[in-house]
Amino acid sequence: MKMLLNLRQDKIGFLSSIVIFVTIMLGVFAPFFAPHDPNQVNMSLRYAPSSMEYLLGNDHLGRCILSRLIIGIRPSVLWVLAALGVSVLIGAALGFLAGYFRGKIDTVIMRMCDTMLSFPGYVMALAIIGVLGVGLQNILIAFILIKWAWFARIIRTSVLQYAELDYVKFAKAPGIKDLQIIYKHLFPLTFSDIAVIASSSMGSMILQISGFSFLGLGIQAPNAEWGMMLNEAREVMFTRPELMLAPGLAIVIVVSAFNFLSDSLQVALNPALSTGQKRSKQESLSTEKKEVLMK
Amino acid sequence: MTVKKYMSPVIFLLMLALLTACSDNTEGGGEAQDDNSTAATKEIIYATAKDINDMNPHLYAGSMPAQGKVFESLVENTEEGIKPLLAESWDISEDGKVYTFTLREDVEFQDGEPFNAEAVKKNLDAVQNNADTHSWIKLSTKLESTNVLDDHTVELVLTEPYYPALVELSMTRPYVFLSPNDFMDGETKSGVEGYHGTGPYKLAEHKTDEYAVFEANENYWGGAPAIKKITSKVLPAGETTFLALQKGEVNFAFTDDRGADSLESESMNQLVEEGEYQLVRSEPMNTKMIVANSSRTENAVSETEVREAIWHSIDRETISRDIFDGTETPAETLFSSNIQYADVELKKREYSLEKAKEILDQAGWKEQQSGAVRTKNGNELAMQLFYDNASSSQKTQAEFIQYSLQEIGIQLEIIGEESTSIANRRATGEYDLLFNQTWGLAYDPQSTIAAFTSDASYLHTTSGIEQADELYKKIDEVMVTTDENKREDLYADILTTVHNEAVFIPITNGSVTVVAPDNLNGISFKQTQFELPFEQMNFKD
Amino acid sequence: MAIYMINRILLAIPMLLVVSFLTFILINLSPLDPAEVVLQAQGVPVITSELLAQTRQELGMDKPFLMQYVDWIIACLQFDFGHSYVTGQPVWSLLAPAFVNTLKLTVISSFVIIILSVLLGVLCALNEGKLLDQSLRGISFFLTSMPSYWLAALMVWYFSVKLDLLPTSGMGSLQHYILPVIIITVSYSGIYFRVVRSSMLNNLHQDYVLYSRACGLPERRIILHIVRNSLQVSVSVFCMAVPIILGSTVVIENVFAWPGLGSLSVRAILGRDFPIIQAYVLILAAAFVLFNALSDIINAWMNPKLRNDL
Repeated sequence: MKMLLNLRQDKIGFLSSIVIFVTIMLGVFAPFFAPHDPNQVNMSLRYAPSSMEYLLGNDHLGRCILSRLIIGIRPSVLWVLAALGVSVLIGAALGFLAGYFRGKIDTVIMRMCDTMLSFPGYVMALAIIGVLGVGLQNILIAFILIKWAWFARIIRTSVLQYAELDYVKFAKAPGIKDLQIIYKHLFPLTFSDIAVIASSSMGSMILQISGFSFLGLGIQAPNAEWGMMLNEAREVMFTRPELMLAPGLAIVIVVSAFNFLSDSLQVALNPALSTGQKRSKQESLSTEKKEVLMK
Repeated sequence: MTVKKYMSPVIFLLMLALLTACSDNTEGGGEAQDDNSTAATKEIIYATAKDINDMNPHLYAGSMPAQGKVFESLVENTEEGIKPLLAESWDISEDGKVYTFTLREDVEFQDGEPFNAEAVKKNLDAVQNNADTHSWIKLSTKLESTNVLDDHTVELVLTEPYYPALVELSMTRPYVFLSPNDFMDGETKSGVEGYHGTGPYKLAEHKTDEYAVFEANENYWGGAPAIKKITSKVLPAGETTFLALQKGEVNFAFTDDRGADSLESESMNQLVEEGEYQLVRSEPMNTKMIVANSSRTENAVSETEVREAIWHSIDRETISRDIFDGTETPAETLFSSNIQYADVELKKREYSLEKAKEILDQAGWKEQQSGAVRTKNGNELAMQLFYDNASSSQKTQAEFIQYSLQEIGIQLEIIGEESTSIANRRATGEYDLLFNQTWGLAYDPQSTIAAFTSDASYLHTTSGIEQADELYKKIDEVMVTTDENKREDLYADILTTVHNEAVFIPITNGSVTVVAPDNLNGISFKQTQFELPFEQMNFKD
Repeated sequence: MAIYMINRILLAIPMLLVVSFLTFILINLSPLDPAEVVLQAQGVPVITSELLAQTRQELGMDKPFLMQYVDWIIACLQFDFGHSYVTGQPVWSLLAPAFVNTLKLTVISSFVIIILSVLLGVLCALNEGKLLDQSLRGISFFLTSMPSYWLAALMVWYFSVKLDLLPTSGMGSLQHYILPVIIITVSYSGIYFRVVRSSMLNNLHQDYVLYSRACGLPERRIILHIVRNSLQVSVSVFCMAVPIILGSTVVIENVFAWPGLGSLSVRAILGRDFPIIQAYVLILAAAFVLFNALSDIINAWMNPKLRNDL
């Protein structure tokens, strides 16, 4: 609750969350908000400029760009969010296991993480697309495969840190079940860390998935996706540059919103961080290195 | 350290991005032309979507426009028929089985090796030693031996008379000549050591995936070409090529050997309007089509009715008018009627979604609810269409057709791949539908039809049709018959069969398009769509 | 230190093995039968089952899986990655020039990124909270939110077409580097700049700074000291910039027709050319592992305390 309060005081963070909320709502209820069927082909409207009926004009098949932009939220944002959710879940489960129980489990899980993390993100995604074929779901699978390891690692670190807190130790003494301790004491503590990492990697994931679609490796026709729309617009970039504008700005706005939100979250959750309080060299090093590798 | 104050610079940048993107885009670089350095030095730099690759003319990996500049054949296929090239003259024995060629005496390979009967024999033998690869060219199955009669006379002995023999000898590959010094262990099938042909240009420099430089062969027997240097530059099709043309980084672009244009028609028109370029289009040369895999029994595409329904649901008028800006005309049959032997009465399948639905209904593919995918015995009416990812017009057509098919209850998945991968799919039969084109004036109809029986080409397309065996027998017959009337009848039968089976679904008649500098003269076309006669071009002063 | 180095390198070896094994498995999941593809590439018209079996044997595919892996990895160590399914050329002859081209781009970009982010990071940290700091951070946030290909398209349009200053694509002269390097710098320096900034801030608030100030040391010397200390922390981060950018130039290469690894791999995917994909994944993953080891070593060299921390 305090976190939300903190956030409210930060106007940009607040604005960002509104942008994100509105985007998600638009995406979830896309068919309701889209003025036309996004896949409705009408060749007589090929490259028609914006009009009252088609606010953002029409694309190379005469489809309504606005409707495609709205339906495109689903693959561009919602599915990415879902993939992020899955990898956070896997990462959290394994991170808690490793950090809380230590010992052999810890070693095994961490070795698995290390291995997964030896593949740079883009390369892993390309490898999986190469084997399974092009398509949105394969990229999402690749994302999950890569990201869970990061989350597991980071969550493990914060679990380790919090498990040392006195009241967590005290809770262990009277024989309270492990699960309960994790759920009641550790989870709320680590939640803030998870939120910060998740929101900060969201932006780069959206960019990556649109990049793959831009290369023609992502979502397949006729489905709309922002990167794919940019790819289509690229064909006529110098004869009709205006087509590059709407999907490009949509990506910039949503990604900025996630980035600013993550920054605000970090401040709201961990005020100490921003005032530059002392941290040990090792600690700051490890978090920074992680942050960079996540991108 | 909050982010409160960030907003003003951010908004500023956003505005800037918007402004730069919106401001007067129409002039888009019209003035970016003033130093067209390439034109000044009188060379051609053409854009190509893929590398020239292995130029070995006895295999198929290389780029044909590049091979066409360097290598030559014995005879040439022209509008007026077969003409001499490396062979001055020839005789055909009365039984049609022995071809005797008299070779030009003034020809040298680019490495100085003389071109003589011995070289011809070595080359033809090397090709024949790898005959399996060339099964699409029927001559390769009928060429029994090559004999050197004297230094400049060579005789080809066939196992049976074969009327398109000269036509096949005129093709860009494989019956062209490479200096025997470049052979590896007397063979060419597993690679060669150099690319010295007899042609007007020689390969001077090659940087994989960047460029290849061809220089004029000053000792060319036909006279040194006027344009001394041609560079083939690898550029992704579309806006990159457009930009490069506008800036003069390249100054030439043409329809590539897989039939894909690197520019869509609107961009080409814009380049011409800006005044530095001319657009030259050949006569219609081929038929662009969708090839259906009739032998894929696990998919509905193996049913004639389904293929017919697809045929009916393609709106060729709209494709021709809107996607091609009228530069290609709708095609209703596999070969347009001006092709030799192809003037056959075939029933026209007009664009009609209603008709298509009716056919599907009758074939037992039922629509459970309106707008849903049709099913029969629990199977969905779904298939895949492969297109060349370098061709934006193919992609647009694919999307357009996808939408039409959805209207009649067929679910079409469209997949863009590299052209080589699509060729592989055609050879292995791993496809339902794919974009393709007939091979052009020099090859139609005989080579395209011969390819119906070739595993590397259309065997999978045709082998699923009911009368396939009968069809193949007729194809074999038509190639060897010497009776002109019988040949006509057989071609009519063959064309009728494949038309009725709807395995080749025609879309438009395509041509070769050239975008060239305004001051370039002598742009012409060959009978094949795969190469251009660069040696005939020159720059006006 | 030497012991740490040796240990760290030894640690990288099993990692390399695991990574290569995973790559091997991954590609073996592909639906294509290599024997069949090889035969097709040779243009054999009718593929009989005997021929297939014989080819399998030639390719060593009848051996146990682990043996196949061993054969493969030994071949890879000799830069024999097999032949392209599409062109039939040896994979290494295609990969090596592309790798060099991408490396050139990567090294130059990393260099620019490091210089820029150190400069900006220090500048911002020293002006913490002031307008300069705020605006630079805002701009960097905004720039990292842009799709790089979109930005690239806009910049090509502006600098190459409108102003006619720079070439549009390809590589060759030094000018060809300008736009791709700018785009990569823009997309990555935001991250690195924040790292430098926060580690500077971290140092600024350390006791020794307070102490030095109290002792009346000149401010310039104090700042130099802080910069040196905070760069130490960032070195390992910068080390990883090279392999990360190496693996993520895919999109940029595509936009600028850069004949590098990214273009090659995308073409390989769209052409289902598995040997190339396999070699690409292996090489980049190996680079990643090695650079990671390198960054740890450099780090340990600069911070002796870390040496026990394997």
